[in-house]
Amino acid sequence: MIRLDNVTKVYGADSVAVRDVSFDIAKGDFVFLVGPSGSGKSTLLRLMNRQERPERGDVWIAGRNINELGDSRVPYLRRGMGNVFQDYKLLSNKTVFENVAFALEVIGKPRHVIRQQVPAVLELVGLEDKHDRLPDQLSGGEQQRVSIARAFVNRPLIMLADEPTGNLDPATGEGIMQLLDSINRSGTTVVMATHDHRIVNMMRKRVIQLDRGVLVRDQERGVYE
Amino acid sequence: MWSRIAYAFRETWASFRRNLTLTAAAVVTSAISLLLVGTTFLIQRGFDNLLVRWKGDVQMIVFVASDAAPEQISYIEGVIKSQPAVIDLNKLKYLDKAASFEEAKVIFTGDPTLLSLLTPETIPTQFKVVPLTGDAALVRSLAEQYRGLPKVEGVSLAEDEFQVISTLSGFVRTVTIVMSVVLLGVAVALIWNTIRTAMFARRREIEVMKLVGATNWFIRVPFMLEGLLQGLIGGVASCAGLWTLNRAWANGVAGFKPGTGISALVVPGSYVNGVMVMLLVIGALAGAIGSGIAASRFLDV
Repeated sequence: MIRLDNVTKVYGADSVAVRDVSFDIAKGDFVFLVGPSGSGKSTLLRLMNRQERPERGDVWIAGRNINELGDSRVPYLRRGMGNVFQDYKLLSNKTVFENVAFALEVIGKPRHVIRQQVPAVLELVGLEDKHDRLPDQLSGGEQQRVSIARAFVNRPLIMLADEPTGNLDPATGEGIMQLLDSINRSGTTVVMATHDHRIVNMMRKRVIQLDRGVLVRDQERGVYE
Repeated sequence: MWSRIAYAFRETWASFRRNLTLTAAAVVTSAISLLLVGTTFLIQRGFDNLLVRWKGDVQMIVFVASDAAPEQISYIEGVIKSQPAVIDLNKLKYLDKAASFEEAKVIFTGDPTLLSLLTPETIPTQFKVVPLTGDAALVRSLAEQYRGLPKVEGVSLAEDEFQVISTLSGFVRTVTIVMSVVLLGVAVALIWNTIRTAMFARRREIEVMKLVGATNWFIRVPFMLEGLLQGLIGGVASCAGLWTLNRAWANGVAGFKPGTGISALVVPGSYVNGVMVMLLVIGALAGAIGSGIAASRFLDV
């Protein structure tokens, strides 16, 4: 589903974010990208959704080399991906329902589809009763659930999560992980960048570890070391 | 498809309300600049009306009485042609009653009373004379000679009527064109800035839109529509201004004494309508282009 071949990404003249990284992620996998801040985790996620292009190497998504993808095709690539962020990136002037519906609206889904899919995904994340609230009327965990609902409403093949539990207390973080786990069980490939030891050790999924942009460990059912 | 169109209009309207002050500034500036553009066209047309009889280097017009017999007209023509060293015979033109009447309709647009008195039967015919010499005294003495000919009603010299108007026309044209171009540039810049500000205010929304797979055109269209509307509203306001201005001018000129020549500065209603349509098109285009450039340039917010 996702393949990186000798990928190197350099910012500026000599700041290497990712150096010669290669790995394969199969359909339906759940993978943790771990490492300290600045190790290149977020850069890898940004390379996977074409927010960045590598200086060297190739990034393959669902059999397509996305570096060779024309700019006009990038939106269609992203429609098959969900993105979840540490700061949720919710629109403060829109309700929970509208935030989730927004993801369908901007890709031109008709109203009847939106009316059908949004309540279903809000039920999945346990927020069906809070559909008319604004983001600042919700707790951090609830906001992250809205963000996950928005990422998942289009039933993407891949979900990229950048430190989704970074702003949450441990108990709330666990709830979020259960949600991502159930999304993964439905067939969506999940790639999650984190430096949360507890979560990684609890989930026992595949772990790809980075250190200063270099892949130093790729382990099935791994732990954070 | 409908949901996309509805989305674009909804977003445009929301953005309009959000940036009311900047939008108003952009609309007012574009209205003023377009009004100036429109006024330039009207003034120019007015001067063209005034100068229409002097087109083609004509320096002298010999008016022949409407009751002149063909042989009398031929006699006058013969006198004029008798000086081939001074008069450019290739350019010598005779306007018969029909042609003179057509010309008068342009010149006296703003003086319907005078125009109604003229008929193709009563109008004087004209010889348009292009001298070969630049010697003003010689041309003037020729005019004196022609004035004495039978059935010549009068002789007009460009030097007396045309030169001042021509100079004034050139000056007014330059000033209004420069001012309207500068103001139009300011209007485009203001629209550009309004759109940039609107995009900056919504950068988070745009970021989310891009991440969930909205195309650049989908993001851009509401902003372009907003700029287009700003330009168009400015255009509508300028049309209202131009119409009022023209009406006031036409009414004012109607109060002048007949024969002052000022009535030629009034332009026909159909021309004003044409200019107003042009202002709407320029306004819409300037708005769409300004906002389109801003939207493309700041899409990576």
